Parts: sequence; C-alpha cells; structure tokens
Amino acid sequence: MILAVTKRFREISSSVLVLPIILTFLGLLTLKSIAQHQDGMTSFEKQFTYLIPAILGLFTVLFIPKNAIHKYSYIAYGAILIGITIPYFGESTAGTYRWIDLGVLSIQPSEYAKWITILVLARYLSDHKLEVRNFTVVIIPIILVLIPTAIILKQPDLGTAAVLLTPVFPMLYWVGARPYHLFLLIAPILSIVTAFHMASFVIWVIIVATVLYLNSSTISRGITTFFTNIFLGLFAPLIWNSLHAYQQKRILTLFNPELDPLGAAYQIIQSQTAIGSGGLLGKGWGLGTQTHLKFLPVQESDFILSVIGEELGFIAVLFILILFAAFISRIVFKAFECTDRFSGLALVGIASVFLAHVFVNTAMTIGLIPVKGLPLPFVSYGGSFLLSCYMMLGIVLNLSIKSPT
Amino acid sequence: MLKTDNQIPKSRLYASYAVISLIIMVLIVRFFQIQILKYETFSKKSDINRIRAISLSAPRGLILDRNGTILVDNYPTFILNAIPGEILNKNESFMRISECTGLDVSLLLDNYQKYYRTRFVPVRLAKDLTLSQISVLEEHRLDLTGIHYDQFPERVFPSKIRGSHFLGYVKEVNRDIYEKLDNNQLYEFGDLIGWQGVEKIYENELKGQKGVKYLEVNAFGQVMGNVAERMGERPIPGNNIHLTIDSGLQGLLEQSMQGKRGVVIVSDANNGDILAYISAPDYPPDLFTGITHDEDWNDILTNPDRPLMDRNSGGLYPPGSILKMITLLALAEKGNLNTNFSIICTGEYAFGDRVFRCWNEYGHGNVDLRRALSESCNIYFYKIVQALKIDEWAEVAKELGFGEKVGIDLPTEQKGNVPTKEYMNKRYGRYGWSKGAMLNLALGQGDVVVTPIQIAQYVNILATRGITQKLHFGTNHIQNINVTPHFKASSWELIDRLMKGVIYDAGGTGKSADPKIEGLVLAGKTGTAQNPHGEDHAWFVGYGKKGEQVISATVLIENGGHGGQFAAPIARVAFNYVFQPSQIVENQ
Repeated sequence: MILAVTKRFREISSSVLVLPIILTFLGLLTLKSIAQHQDGMTSFEKQFTYLIPAILGLFTVLFIPKNAIHKYSYIAYGAILIGITIPYFGESTAGTYRWIDLGVLSIQPSEYAKWITILVLARYLSDHKLEVRNFTVVIIPIILVLIPTAIILKQPDLGTAAVLLTPVFPMLYWVGARPYHLFLLIAPILSIVTAFHMASFVIWVIIVATVLYLNSSTISRGITTFFTNIFLGLFAPLIWNSLHAYQQKRILTLFNPELDPLGAAYQIIQSQTAIGSGGLLGKGWGLGTQTHLKFLPVQESDFILSVIGEELGFIAVLFILILFAAFISRIVFKAFECTDRFSGLALVGIASVFLAHVFVNTAMTIGLIPVKGLPLPFVSYGGSFLLSCYMMLGIVLNLSIKSPT
Repeated sequence: MLKTDNQIPKSRLYASYAVISLIIMVLIVRFFQIQILKYETFSKKSDINRIRAISLSAPRGLILDRNGTILVDNYPTFILNAIPGEILNKNESFMRISECTGLDVSLLLDNYQKYYRTRFVPVRLAKDLTLSQISVLEEHRLDLTGIHYDQFPERVFPSKIRGSHFLGYVKEVNRDIYEKLDNNQLYEFGDLIGWQGVEKIYENELKGQKGVKYLEVNAFGQVMGNVAERMGERPIPGNNIHLTIDSGLQGLLEQSMQGKRGVVIVSDANNGDILAYISAPDYPPDLFTGITHDEDWNDILTNPDRPLMDRNSGGLYPPGSILKMITLLALAEKGNLNTNFSIICTGEYAFGDRVFRCWNEYGHGNVDLRRALSESCNIYFYKIVQALKIDEWAEVAKELGFGEKVGIDLPTEQKGNVPTKEYMNKRYGRYGWSKGAMLNLALGQGDVVVTPIQIAQYVNILATRGITQKLHFGTNHIQNINVTPHFKASSWELIDRLMKGVIYDAGGTGKSADPKIEGLVLAGKTGTAQNPHGEDHAWFVGYGKKGEQVISATVLIENGGHGGQFAAPIARVAFNYVFQPSQIVENQ
C-alpha cells in the first residue's frame, strides 16, 4: 500500500502539483488578513479545515484507475444531472437553487458538474473514430454540454453555466474540429452583440465575409451563412427596442454595471478602487482600508483578488496571474503528452475550465466584464469549490501519468 | 476503451499556449492600467471612500444694537440628515422616520429632492426636531442606516423689537439658490445664507467658517472612529455685527406705528447712524425661520398693505410740501429770493387756464416768506417758483440726494425720480408740458417721487449744512454721502430759520412735534401729499439740536391726512426719547 502511494507520487507531475499549492497558500494568507475583523470562526480557519476534504478528494481521485474514470463517466454524468436538479426540490437560498442541504454541510453539485461533463465529453469524443472535420459531428457534444448548462442557468448561476459551456470548444479543437466550424458556432452570437455598435458590426461583417470566403465549401452555403448572420444582426436592435425600458436596463446593467451605481456597479467600483489604490506594492498585508472597512463586497470569495491587489499590489497580482498561466499551460502540455485521447481531452477540458474561472473572476474584479460571481481557483474561500478544484487537480495528476505501454 | 491514440499536431499545443498567454496578458495589462497608471485616482478615491466628512455648521454672528442689546441670536436645534449613499431603502426609512417623529413622509421626500446633491453629501430631511423626537429615533437607530441628526444653530430674536425690515432674514441654501450663487463653493445645501436686510448685506462677516470632522466609516455607514491622519477643522463662528439702532427707540416707535401704514426713520444727522427704522406694517422677524404655517404665510402674502415690503428704502412716494426747501434753496442760490416778498393768499391761484388751490381753502390772507413755510402756503410758492427753470430746481434736488440711491447698507433701495427738462420732454413730448409743471414741483407733487430714506438724508443734509455722513446700520459702515451740497451760508441759515418757524410760530404746522425739552431746538416741515391712492399722505420731517447732538426724524403716514396733525406727533415721541436728559446719560 505504502509502496503504491510512493510509486504513484513518483509518477505524478510535481510541477502541476506545486503551483496550486502555492496558490492555496496565497489564498490562506489573504484570508488570514481578512480574518482580522471577523468574529467567531474566521473564514481563514474554515478554509484551513476545508483543506482536509480537499486533500482527501485529491487522493481519492488520484487513486481511481484511469480505466474506471473512463468506464463510469456516463454514469457519473447521469448522476450529476440528477444532482443539479435536486436543489429545485428543496428551498431556495437567497433566491437560487444551487445547494443541497445535508444538515451538517451543504453541497453545490454544479461544481462537480463542471468536470464530470468534461469527462463525458472526453469519452464521447475519444470513443468514436469521429470524422470531426464534418460539421454535424459537433452537434452531440454540444447537446451533452447544453443539458447541464441549461439546468444550471436556470438555478440561476450564469457564471458556472458559462464555465460549463467553455471546454467544449477547445476540446473539439483538440480532436481536430475545423476552427471554421467553431467559428460558425460562435458567429451568430457575435453578430447579435456587435449589431448595437455600428463600427464593430461593420468590422465583424467584414471578418465573417472573409472567413466564409476562405473556408466555405460551396458559394451558396457561404452566402446563406453570411446573410443569416447579417439578418440576426439587423433584427437584434428591433427586438431590443420592443423590450420594456426596465428589461433593457437590466440587460444593460449586466454589460455596464456603472449604470446602476447602487447595485452591481457598487461592487465593481469598490473592487476597482481597492485594486487601484493598491498600486505597485500594495498597502501592506492586513492594511487594506477598502478591505477592512468592508467596502469590498464578498471579499473572501469572489473578490479575493481585489484584497490581494489592494494589500499586496500589482506585483502580487502579476505573480498570481503568471502562476495560473504556468499551471494551465502545464496541464495543456500534459494533455499533449498523453498517449490516449480520452486523457488528453479531459486535461484540455479541465485546463479550459481553470482558464475560464481565472479569466471571469479576474476580469470581473477589474470591471472588464459584468459581475458573474465566480471564485478564483485554489485562492477563493469556499469548501465546495476548493474540493472541486482539488478533485480536478487529482484528475489532471491521475490522467497525466504515463501509462506503461 | 482507452485505445484511441492522442496524436496531436504540435501546432495545436502552440495555439493553446498562445490563447492562454493572450488571455492572461489582457488581464495583466488591465491590472497595470488600474494599479500603476491610474493609481493616483484610485488612491484618492479610496481615501474619500472610507472617510465621511461631517461638516460642522458655524453659528452666524450675532446682531446687536448700539447699546449691546442682542437683536438676533442663535439657538441650537436638531436637524435630520440623510446620506443618500448609505440609505438602504429610502421609502422604508422615511416611513420609519415618520412613525417615530410624526413628520409627513411627503415633507421628507420634498426636502430630499430639494437638498439632494450627491450620494455622499448629507441631505437635510427635517429641522427643528424636539429632543423627544430625537430620542425615539435613537431607539430605532439600527433600522435607520444613513440617517443622522445633528445640531444646527437657528436664528432667534430675543429682543422686544421686530425690526424685520432691516434685520432681514436668512434662507436655507437649496438647489435653486446654490446654482445662482457666485461663491457657492462656500455653501452647502441646507446652510443658512443672509437673504434680506442686514443679514444679507453683512453676510460675509456674519457667516463664519464651517468646520469639518472626519470619520472613518465602513460600507454600511457605521462609524469606525476618527481618522487618525486627518484632523478636522473647528467651525469659526461669524463676527458679531453692531447696529446703530437703538432698540428702545425702535420698540417705542414700532408701537406708535401699530395699525398704521408708513415709515419712521430716526437718525443721528452728524454721523448718519440710523437709530430707528420702522416700516409699517411689518412682519414677525422669525417668519422665515422654523416652520411657518401656511395660514400665516397666506395672511402676509395676501395682505394688501404688503408687510414684506420695506417702505423706507423700497417705497416710492410723492413728497409733498416737505420738498419746499428745495425751491427756496434754488431761488436763494440764484439770488432770486426776496425775503421781504409777500402775497395775499385767497386759497386760489389762476395759472393759465387752470386754477391751483392752497390746502387752506379759505386762504392764508397776508403771507410773507416765513409764514409761507411755517403754514405751508401753496399760493406763495406757486408765485415764487415761476422764477425757476425746471433744471435749476432739479439740480438742487439732485445736490440734496434725490434721484439717486442713498447707499444705505440694505439690499433693496430704489432711486426715485427727479424730473428734468430732458425727462419731461421725453415723457410728455416737447410741447406736452408747460411751466405749470413747476407749480407742482414747488409743492413736491407731480413727477418727483422719493423714498423715505432719501428724505431722511435730505433732512440730515439740511440739519448739518451738508456735512453729514451716509445713513447706515452697521456701526463701521461710515462713508461720505454720495452728493456734495454746496450752498451759501446765508442760504443754509435762511432754511434753518424758516424751518424753526414751522415748529415755533403761532400758526406753525409742525408744532405737535415739539416735546418741549429744555435746550432742545427743533426745526421741521410738514407735508400733505396728494396721491392717487386715496387720502393724502401725511409727512413730517425735522431735526432737533441740543448741544452737539443733532437728531433727525422722518415720518410718513400713508393716507394719514395732514402731516402736522398725524405725522408730527410721532416725531415728538422720537425727539422726546432721544433728548430726555436721562436718556442722554444712558446713551453715553
């Protein structure tokens, strides 16, 4: 047994393991700072406790044979679909249906849906000798992703839904789907969004036309696709104008929270203020005024990077972002090294989930995108999320072990 | 089932690296922007964010009379403020406040609209809260995030006088006022600003300097303590203003004028000190402080006697016979006044195709110069004024300060009018008026209109032979008058002598102005001015000299009838008060 463990540890990639541990440590350090003005059990102490299940989770996943992961992924997928539906039968928490209350602890099943969906996608895409250069083949993976996405979107949890949806595109790309086909999938959305800004729309239309001209197999199909996009773009403003003013405002605030200075904008403004006032070297650990005067909302989870930015400055943020870049690149490299397609795909999927998390969370704290309520992997406070991150890490470590050929 | 191989072209790995790097780079660039390039801005913002500046209102300076009696004081009241950015639910909070204090929600909302400036500047919701209202609010403090009460010094009028027309009043700065102020960086919404009278003119001295207190607060508006590195500033109270007003005299004359419409101005002719300044009817000086009931407001606004108007500086009147001295001075200066000239007054005088009448319809009989003034014979003046051209008359009138603002330290002064040839031509056309206009001017009728304050200055000039000072309220506001009357000593002397006759001659119309105090010598003139609003206006002007002291009085009773009968007795009250031997001792 001990031999097996040491053997396993000798096999795993130490670089992939070390980076998240540093990030976890940074997270704890920040929570310790926040804990200064907390009464009772602080979020620092709680997070420290959460490390126990997280590490257990990592080990559990690490020691599951690769075959088993592959074999049971469809069953796990079915189970998690049920899991994310269960909260709808319980009571809502703050108007959302995300949690399953088990008495002593609550579980947020959508956290695990993220990587279970990746596994099922990886299995589907690796089992079939897919002719992925054919457009119709991408339909089933998309459906596999859309089912849990739709359920989670309804919870409502826009952030998690967005993260869930993300891996399918890199994974399709990884197995050889033509970027052109992925482009066709995303194009309509961009056509609608750009339609509200004349210059952007014109540029976008030129891009669509160029891409279609270079890639389209037949002229008629290209022209059809082109005009479908144009019409979507032209109709979007019409539909927009038919909305009520309050509906428009709600959507606009989503994209530009500054329109609502008392709501989400308040959070972003406070977060930006905290980060900006940190400067190069920060105000010093435990000395962030925005943090400690509680101007900063949800500072231990979604806005933990704002605390770091305020107290430890640009240097620390730069360090963290480089750590993430290295960590994610490392996973992708492991995916490249994998000998079987299932493992490679799973790793790519998990890498994109991490990247999506980092991007959405970070971009939100600096006002690049609307507030989405997504935590920063390994750093943010939260038991369910920490466990999920370590389990994903376990999968990465597990699947990246070179099978003896 | 892990048999599918994973042969991935290297290009896909590099493409993935590129995407990861690009995304992370975008984030890094944005952080660089915020933390390095915009550091200054956000650093400042973060300071403001955690600090709540509480402005401490400075009490306005007191206003005192010449003897040090406090006319306008401050008393502390409680005001209710809201900090918009800290209120969680405005309507709910206002409902709660209403429950606690009994104040109307609509009043709170109104004030909120009126005084709202930005999210972090307190908005005045209500004022004059009682201690019991405050204590109920204090019990509900936890439900009332963002609602604070502060002490606020309000104006109060402890003396027995009203004096509303010169004391004026203050207003609270609201959005409209704020936008119109030139120096609005000195004010915040809800601050008091002098809006009328002395309060306005001496605003800069009375205002004081606001203080500020910095408190560190969290995002819930809870005060965490003082800000260590930022000291507050104590408010500096405004300077006190000493007025020349004698509140004893002012109060006495206010009583005398009760129920009447008109004015009384008593001043020290030597230095221009205004001792009493009554414009009746007036209004209670605290009308504009605290909560004025709608009924009271309507009473005052709809009162046809217009109590809000300061008749002294803002009322335009026909002066009547009190202007006869202008005619005499003009003639004397021209050398056209024959002091031995006399006429037979029959009560009527035919000029051209019109008949002019004397006020004494039976006629004065044989009238010489002295009697012409003391008994105010119109016919005599009709005759002698014909030697004057209109511009000769107007020049003297202007030299005596008419047609121009006196320049007292009050904000609402009118200029009145002195008709000249040019004016008459413009108004009536070159051939639209005749020499007959001079007959009107001789009696102070027609196109000449004056303010009582101009009359008071005119009397002071006559009393001191032109070496008086500008009329004023502020003891430090001593300035030369705007005009420089130069007349021959003999002319001054003549006027003085003739005006004494008005008081002391047997038929003198101003007899009842004399309080008969030993050593006091009075000179005066009555007037009975026709006006289009009914009964004649009763005028009395005069000055009394005793030793070095020269005190003048100007009295006007609107539609009062004969000046000698109705206006002069009020002047006697003033002379009696000022020249009573005991009073003099008290004054000094």
